[in-house]
Amino acid sequence: MTFTRRELLERCAAFGAVTLATSIPLSALASAWDDAEKQRTPTPFCELGPFYKRQAPNTSMLRSRGDAGMPLALSGVVYDVRGQVIPDAKLEIWQTDNDGHYDIEGYRYRTLLEPGAKGSYAIESVMPGHYPTRVCQHVHYLVTAPGHKPLITQLYFATDPVFDGDPDKNYSRDPLITSRELIRPVVIKGDPKQIIAAVNFDLVLETL
Amino acid sequence: MRGLALAALLAVSATAAAASQPITKVQLPCESNSQEMSPTGTQLTVQCKDHSLYLVNVADGAQRKLFSSDHRPSEYVFSQDGRWLAAGFPDGTVEVIPTQDNTSSRQWKADSHRIDLVRFFPDGKKLLVAPVDSPGTVWELGDTPTKLATLPVDFGGISACAISPDGKMLVIAGDDTVLRWYDTTSWQKTREYRDFLLETFALTFTPDGKSVLAAGADSRITIFDAVSGKQVRQLPPDAGSSIFSVDVLGTGERALAVYFDNAGGKPPHVLVWDLATAKSVPLNSDPLPTCGGIVGGKLLTCSTDGKTLTLSQQE
Repeated sequence: MTFTRRELLERCAAFGAVTLATSIPLSALASAWDDAEKQRTPTPFCELGPFYKRQAPNTSMLRSRGDAGMPLALSGVVYDVRGQVIPDAKLEIWQTDNDGHYDIEGYRYRTLLEPGAKGSYAIESVMPGHYPTRVCQHVHYLVTAPGHKPLITQLYFATDPVFDGDPDKNYSRDPLITSRELIRPVVIKGDPKQIIAAVNFDLVLETL
Repeated sequence: MRGLALAALLAVSATAAAASQPITKVQLPCESNSQEMSPTGTQLTVQCKDHSLYLVNVADGAQRKLFSSDHRPSEYVFSQDGRWLAAGFPDGTVEVIPTQDNTSSRQWKADSHRIDLVRFFPDGKKLLVAPVDSPGTVWELGDTPTKLATLPVDFGGISACAISPDGKMLVIAGDDTVLRWYDTTSWQKTREYRDFLLETFALTFTPDGKSVLAAGADSRITIFDAVSGKQVRQLPPDAGSSIFSVDVLGTGERALAVYFDNAGGKPPHVLVWDLATAKSVPLNSDPLPTCGGIVGGKLLTCSTDGKTLTLSQQE
């Protein structure tokens, strides 16, 4: 047997398990419960790094035909800490190519997205490479939205060989990883001729 | 930032590595690949391999342990008169320590983020503190440090700063790629420059205070008029690399820049630029000294052999 949140509250109230102030209707209490459950922890900060470049183009397709590396599909939604979608966020995303090189002269593997009312984003890229001065593969994010603290962070991949299959235990092998939360599972999709690594990375901004 | 400052000193010391005259030998408390010389040349900070940090007096070799390996600062710098050492820590704490007497040190929580940059003003009475991912602040160093100013950026923190020789002007570079000028009397922002697309990692005034040199991920030095904030000239880039430090040599005719390979595959290299002609010459700096600095117009360098440091004057 299942109950709606309101039914559950009513039953609890009936048995005295919940004492209700006369001024608070059950629907409001249920709504507050919903809101509490939606609350999200802000995405941890992780260094900007030296290769940020302003004025990236607005594009969801970062890879070009023939680019080396496993295709990567990154997606997610931008929320505030109450779990509400932020409709006017801007996302800047940048990474190396599969050989571990950032494009400084141009804008390869760089984008500036405006997710819009749904707050969702999705890009097509390739798995970034390793490079000598960094331990792990990573993707940089800068997320801004009016009324919210700008978020600077990095996404890491649970499949990175650096973690030896155990990111819980080994994530500190990269001293720049500030939180285990930044290491995301990688789901292999597609067919044998076109395998794609898919990663979901929701972002949560603090209110100013 | 620590590594960047070291690189700058190494580069400075490399300018005349060919002819050096040993001045003195100093016993170190440990084997060390990283030292920093005070602006007066009389003291050294010595970072041991376990990351503990010592202060060593060059004249008599007196040693004093400043920080243990489990309390190591993320950034530290001498005041210009060498009487103070400021250190910033990963927990946002700042400590200002007297280096030559028993004056009490000051310690305070400047921020909740790691401190990435600390810089004394020329009078030694004010300190700029720059945490990662947070606005920089300026502190008056009384018995109880008080905050004089907050230096906001669009996002992130401060990546570089320069203070004019007379202390009246402050220029900061933000992670947001913007340069901002401040009047240090009123702490009002007087102008900003938003035309850089990439970050600035090095800022410095010329000795006459008339120009500001900025350099960073765009691999070139840009010269600004210090007062108007207008771009005066831009030197040619060195593609594929980023500049992490710039030092003005002599009276300001030449600048020395340290370049890091963006791909990380090549060692750092150093170019000396003639600012008038925009021509550069590379420096051969093999092996690099372990520290160095210009003291009283003379170039001093360090080299180590085990726990013995040799201080030399470059001819």
